[in-house]
Formats: sequence, C-alpha cells, structure tokens
Amino acid sequence: MSVYAVNKLCRRVVHEPALREQLTNDPEATLRSLEPPLSEEEIDLLLVGDVGALAKHGTNHFLLHQLARWQLLGLDLPTHGERIRAAFPAEVLRSP
Amino acid sequence: MAELVGAFGVPHNPHFPSLVSDGAPLADEISAMYGKVAEALAACEPDALIYITSDHYNLFFETLPVFMVGIADAAVGASDYPTIPERQVSIDSELARHIQRYLMAHDFDVGALQELELDHTVIAPLWFIAPDWDLPIVPFFINGFLRPLPSARRCYALGRALRGAVDAYPAGRVAVVASGSFSVEIGGPRILADAHVGVPAPDWTERVLELLRSADLATLVAESTDEQMAEAGNAGGEILDWITMLAMFDPAPPATLDVQPWFGHAYATWPAP
Repeated sequence: MSVYAVNKLCRRVVHEPALREQLTNDPEATLRSLEPPLSEEEIDLLLVGDVGALAKHGTNHFLLHQLARWQLLGLDLPTHGERIRAAFPAEVLRSP
Repeated sequence: MAELVGAFGVPHNPHFPSLVSDGAPLADEISAMYGKVAEALAACEPDALIYITSDHYNLFFETLPVFMVGIADAAVGASDYPTIPERQVSIDSELARHIQRYLMAHDFDVGALQELELDHTVIAPLWFIAPDWDLPIVPFFINGFLRPLPSARRCYALGRALRGAVDAYPAGRVAVVASGSFSVEIGGPRILADAHVGVPAPDWTERVLELLRSADLATLVAESTDEQMAEAGNAGGEILDWITMLAMFDPAPPATLDVQPWFGHAYATWPAP
C-alpha cells in the first residue's frame, strides 16, 4: 500500500468540497481517478470504510478521521471510533 | 527596542466557538476561561501578537517544514472548519520578516510562507481573545504532528532566539501566544468510546500543570521527550508550542491558569513577563 495516497485523499477532502461531492455521488470512480493512484487494496478498504485496516497499514489516524467527519464512504464519527478502537485493542486498554 | 508585553497559552478546540454560540452547557466555562486571556491580552496593549501553533495538515502536507513563519500581509481562515465564522487576520509582515532574518542569522533555518490560510488553531482562539480587534499577528508554525518532530530542547532554544528577535526589533509592544493542548488524541484508538477525541495521558497533563505552576521550564523541557509526547496522543507535540512561548521569557508562575482536564488543556496568562 502506498499510504501516502490515502493520507492525501483524507487531507484533500477537508479542503475540496467538489471532491467530497464526487465521493458521495460516485465513490469508486472517484477513488480510481485520484493522483497519486490508490492501490486496489486501498480502494477496496476505502469503499467499505475499513479505517481499522487502513490504520494498521500505516495511514495517519488523524487524517483518516476526516473521512468520517465529512460523512464519506459510509463513515461517521461513531463508526470511525468503533473501528479504529477495534483495530488497536492494546492501545484502547492503555487509555485511562 | 521592542518590548515583550504579555505571554499566553490557549487551547484551540475547533468546536468551542459553536458550543458558545449555541449556548451549550460548557459555554459559560469556555467563555470565562478565554475571557481571562482576552482581558489580559487587551490590558498589555500589544501592537503585534506572535502566534505559535502547529499546523494540522492544512497548510503543510506535500511539504513538511519543521519551522515556518507567515510573511504575507494578511490571511483568511479557518481553512478547515467552515463552522467557525470566517475572518481575515492582518499579519505584521515587517515583524515577521525581521523574525525570519534574525532567526536565520542565529542558526535557525526557518522557511517563509508568502501566501497562507489560517486553520482553526489560530481562528478559533482569536474568536474568543480578539473578536473585534484586528490585532496583527506573526503566525509561526512548529511541526508538532508528523514525526520526526523537533526536540523540546530545540524549541526552547528557538524561543530564546525569538525573544532575541523581539529585543532586536526597533520598537513596539509584542505579545506571544502558544496554541495547543498537553494531551489529546484525535481520531486514533485512544479516544473515548463516545467521541472522536480522548486524553490518553491525564497524568502528563497534571505534570505539565505542576511544572507551569512552579515555573520549572527546565524540567518541562527535559521531560517533554519524543516518547512522552507520543504517549500524550497524536497531538501531543503541541506542548512544543508552549515550550517555545515559555522560553521567550524567564517564566514566573502564571498569573492565571484555568484547566479543563477532560480536554487535556489549559488557559494561562503571563502579563508583563
């Protein structure tokens, strides 16, 4: 996985309303049009909103939550939280 | 020579302006805590405000500078939170350029932004502390997010050099503010079950507060290791903004220190540092 391409997507959605609209209207075609290109695995994980797996591959957690903040790819903040916590149970246990 | 007339530390939760506008349960507390900073800032009558913050992947992503100063004449924000009322902020570009030149002459390789937008880390606190006051700022960015981060030791030295830059400026009243938390995780696994943020290291928050109250900057610098900042959350590097601000003077205990421990942050004032 390139990681950088996913991070860049997450960063762009904060600043580009048109990209958010495209992702809402046609997520797969939009993901396939991005530069730098996403890998097939990244596209599959993004389409199902698997932020836990993306985070485990090294995607930036802060940036990933921007997808949920803008309610893209079937995500919202509670779903993001649930999935990111499930992916790192040892980290969750370390929290107070 | 210019005079350092006030130093301040503030949080920058992007939702606070909305919470206060909407009259949320925390509104009075947030308003009161920012209000003390606003009052102290107004009382020191600054001509310019050095604004030390850490970009949240808004200005910088493809390129990741360690230290950067904004030298444009003005900037608009908040670029990342349209829920915060947009405003244009004046920049004291003459002071900003002086600071860059001075720091470069003193071995700090600081880049310059000739165009920039400001994110919530600047606009949200200004909504509270300078709502109707176009106080010119000098936006100064420290990489507090994407490793490798500068060390606390380096940021201490940076703060000393920033003070040198103020002292070497011909005239004016200059204040400084640091924007950031002590322990906060955003979007990572160490968040609360019912939120997208959490405070992974409340003990560290308490320790920072203890060191602020005892004005023990040397120990704060020594204990703000990369490991400690990582333990404090994925925004734990924001302590570097506070260390840089504190290094600009010989800190006494703050005149006011208000804490919201469940957010891992505080509001502090040092009038006439």
